[in-house]
Amino acid sequence: MRFRHIFIAATVLLSGNAVAQDFPSGSVNYVIPFNPGGESDITARLQQPYFEKLYNQQLVVAYQPGGGGAVSWSRLNSLKEDGSTMMGINLPHIVVKPEQGDVGFKTDDITAVYWFHYTPDAVVVKADSPYQTLQDLIDDAQSNPKKVIFSGSGKGTANHLAQVNFDKQTGVNTTYVSFKGTSAAVTALLGNMVTAQWGYTTVGKAQGDSVRLLAVAMDNRHPAFPDVPTFKELGIDMVSGAYRGVAVPKGASEETRQQMSDAIAAINNDKMFQQQMIDAGFAMIDVSYGQSMDSFMAEKSSEYISAARSAGIID
Amino acid sequence: MLDFILSAASPFNIVLALLGVTAGTIIGSIPGLTATMAVAVLVPLTFTMPTDSALILMGAIYTGAIYGGAYAAILLNTPGTPSAIATTFDGFPMAKSGKGDLAVSVACLSSVFGGLIGALALLFLAPPLAKAALAFGSTEYFWLAVFGLSLIAGLSDGDFIKGLIGACFGILLAMIGVSEVSAEVRYTFGSTTLIGGVEIVSALIGLYCIPVLIDLVATPDRHLNVKQNTADFRLKEAFSIFRFNKLNAVRSSIIGTFVGALPGAGGSIAGLIAYSEAQRTNKAAPKFGTGNPGGIVATESANNATVGGGFIPTLVLGIPGTPPDAVILGALLVQGVRTGPTLFTDSASVVYTFIFGLLLATLLMLPTGLLIGRYAYKAIVKAPKAALVPLVAFMTVIGSFAIRNNISDSIIMIVLGVIGWIASKRGFSASPIVLGLILGRIAEEGFVQSWTIGDAMGNLSGQFFGRPISMVIIGLTLVSVLYPFMPYLKTLLLPRVFPAVLPTSESKADGFKVGFDLFGIAIMGAVGLIFYVQSNDLNVDAAVFPRTIATAMLVLVALAFLKTLTTKQVVDTPIKGSLVRMLSVPVVMLIAAFLIPTIGFIGATTMMGLVLIIPAQHDQYSTKHKLVLIGSVAFVIVACCLLFTQLLGVALP
Repeated sequence: MRFRHIFIAATVLLSGNAVAQDFPSGSVNYVIPFNPGGESDITARLQQPYFEKLYNQQLVVAYQPGGGGAVSWSRLNSLKEDGSTMMGINLPHIVVKPEQGDVGFKTDDITAVYWFHYTPDAVVVKADSPYQTLQDLIDDAQSNPKKVIFSGSGKGTANHLAQVNFDKQTGVNTTYVSFKGTSAAVTALLGNMVTAQWGYTTVGKAQGDSVRLLAVAMDNRHPAFPDVPTFKELGIDMVSGAYRGVAVPKGASEETRQQMSDAIAAINNDKMFQQQMIDAGFAMIDVSYGQSMDSFMAEKSSEYISAARSAGIID
Repeated sequence: MLDFILSAASPFNIVLALLGVTAGTIIGSIPGLTATMAVAVLVPLTFTMPTDSALILMGAIYTGAIYGGAYAAILLNTPGTPSAIATTFDGFPMAKSGKGDLAVSVACLSSVFGGLIGALALLFLAPPLAKAALAFGSTEYFWLAVFGLSLIAGLSDGDFIKGLIGACFGILLAMIGVSEVSAEVRYTFGSTTLIGGVEIVSALIGLYCIPVLIDLVATPDRHLNVKQNTADFRLKEAFSIFRFNKLNAVRSSIIGTFVGALPGAGGSIAGLIAYSEAQRTNKAAPKFGTGNPGGIVATESANNATVGGGFIPTLVLGIPGTPPDAVILGALLVQGVRTGPTLFTDSASVVYTFIFGLLLATLLMLPTGLLIGRYAYKAIVKAPKAALVPLVAFMTVIGSFAIRNNISDSIIMIVLGVIGWIASKRGFSASPIVLGLILGRIAEEGFVQSWTIGDAMGNLSGQFFGRPISMVIIGLTLVSVLYPFMPYLKTLLLPRVFPAVLPTSESKADGFKVGFDLFGIAIMGAVGLIFYVQSNDLNVDAAVFPRTIATAMLVLVALAFLKTLTTKQVVDTPIKGSLVRMLSVPVVMLIAAFLIPTIGFIGATTMMGLVLIIPAQHDQYSTKHKLVLIGSVAFVIVACCLLFTQLLGVALP
């Protein structure tokens, strides 16, 4: 047992006092609930150097994948609450998953402190596709029910809910095939397994000239795609995508929550960072801790739950 | 081109390649630390580097890790990375019979060869291969998984039915947790531990390594035989084995390159397919699976070829070929490099410098790999059992934890290990279960996707059977399944030309043993039944595949019942040694795993290591010896924990 005592003494010395005063008091752990190399990981990696430049402290990215994020989120509240740990969170995941069954957490268990960007849903086709406009696709779907086949990432995800919403608003009947992640959905598109993809604006940037975006689900056009219309312009009321943010354990003090929120806000405000994100196809948002967070979560929750219900994913 | 070679061979890049290969080899040799993790740890270091150097470093550590996986496979029967699964099949029997050092050297030569072929393909054939890889759709991945499963026919030494039951069991295990294709929570039986499902790497560690540990403590016999005390690498022998297997090496490297270029496959499948093909065409003794170095040549050249192969879709299409490639792709994005169709023209200098760097790193793997391999071999051979068992047990716990930073995975690992150990005594070997576990998810995904598409197009049979590449894979699968039964088939079809091959007359077992065998089969039947019943509450996407597999499993169980009753031939591996010692290993490990949340990782695992000395110790030691033993076990465990937290950024609870 002596080893244990020495070790405890050593860790206490190393980690410093547990009471948070200056933020951050040491290196910060950033838990990503998905595999390394996924979109959430890449996002964290883009933030990493800016955090380190701002605070001169390390931002350590750690992965705890499993259950489509559920494994991490069900453990969020058992993590250190002293501001040394934050966790990546995703919408619609944290709203839809707990409704699908017992996944070990409820949406209310998650203390979101910031939403920093989203990847807007977009209809992606191959460069040699006969569809030049979204109307071409809708016409085809109208005369050939079910035969316009979309690939997308997962079920109950932003892509899937977008497909359901799109079908409902345009009155067509398309087929949605779920793939394990966006990369696999892109591969299916490029390999002609499907006619189109419910992807994101980021796919348009990553694939460049080999694909074409027909419409994006944003309020205004994406600065990186000035020629691609929004769904709204085409008369379809759709602003949606996969949102990313960070959360802290429930026990974190108001002060810690605010500090964490401010830290992410500071990264989001960096001009170079913004340019990097837009170039990669992301769309920036700023939902910080407090009143605006509460109303954002309330609005998104009801929106996703009703969409998931009409998609038949939840009862 | 010369410019690129020169810039790849700058002193800085050579140092990076050397460091990367060395670190990768060591990380890969530890079960649970995969190539993906090795690369992910490096990412922050690469932010401040020139892009080509960053790529060379990541490529080097990746290729080193894939090779390092062979050590644990050969010396401990536990694949260090999933890519090395098939290396265990012949590597461990070789090591058992005193040829461990030779096996490690053969693995090194094969890895270097395969790595070079993969990198050369990346250099010369990237765009056409990327295009070819895209022709592989969901249906082809489904059939590829089935093809991988057909390997069981050759693997399961006669008892094909039990092998298939094992594979079904593995596939059903893979269905536990949140389903990837339908997002539904399945087969968790209300336990939050199971939500994340059975993680493949920790399952591998459990199924392969725990039985080794249990058998280790049972008797005072040495872990590995040492025939002669050779001081060199047995390089001459290794070279002559490699020359003998040159066709095998070329074929396996080509398989590895192409499977690596398929974004949905990866190193484990490449190794398995190459192994299966090598086994089928092998004419030399001894039999594959009993210590034929050709099995190592096939697996190791194929899995290292996937490194170069995997970079093909990564760089050409911007789609990661393998999981480590996904991490590298992310690091490139941070660097502001756009991968994709234009990369080879716009950033030619980066790409070609990197490819030459990868070739250089692969060549450097020859000396470093032989040296580290020699050291690993000596450490395992020389360590007394009383130190080997606690330390390997510790490695299995920290390895299975580190893969997802999740202690549930360690618990699942130990439980699966015990199940695997018991099952192997009743003739259900671990490999079919592992194959089912790995290929089950790929098969399900491909199956459900093809089903959805075929249904929408109103042409299900065309979707599954009418696609040209699918037809080729189905043909290969049939050949692979039927090949082991060729002697019987020939007799059946042409009885005059080929006289009956009489099965060697095994003595019939007595009633008690037959009953025991039936009991084992019945338990598998119960598992199948539980999964079948549980499928009723799921939506159709989530249920169709597991229900089909559960049904198949029940049919196979009925067949196995009939077979045992009629032939009365049963597998009955006698248990040698002390049962108390054997049982104490998993029990102590489980207690430690449950104690981790309360007394911390280092405390619990150190305690576990020290307690495990007792069952592992067979010789009488002096007090001084005992103290040295206790001190060194505790020291290594604490040092490893610190290494994990400080160097690899793994937060231990």
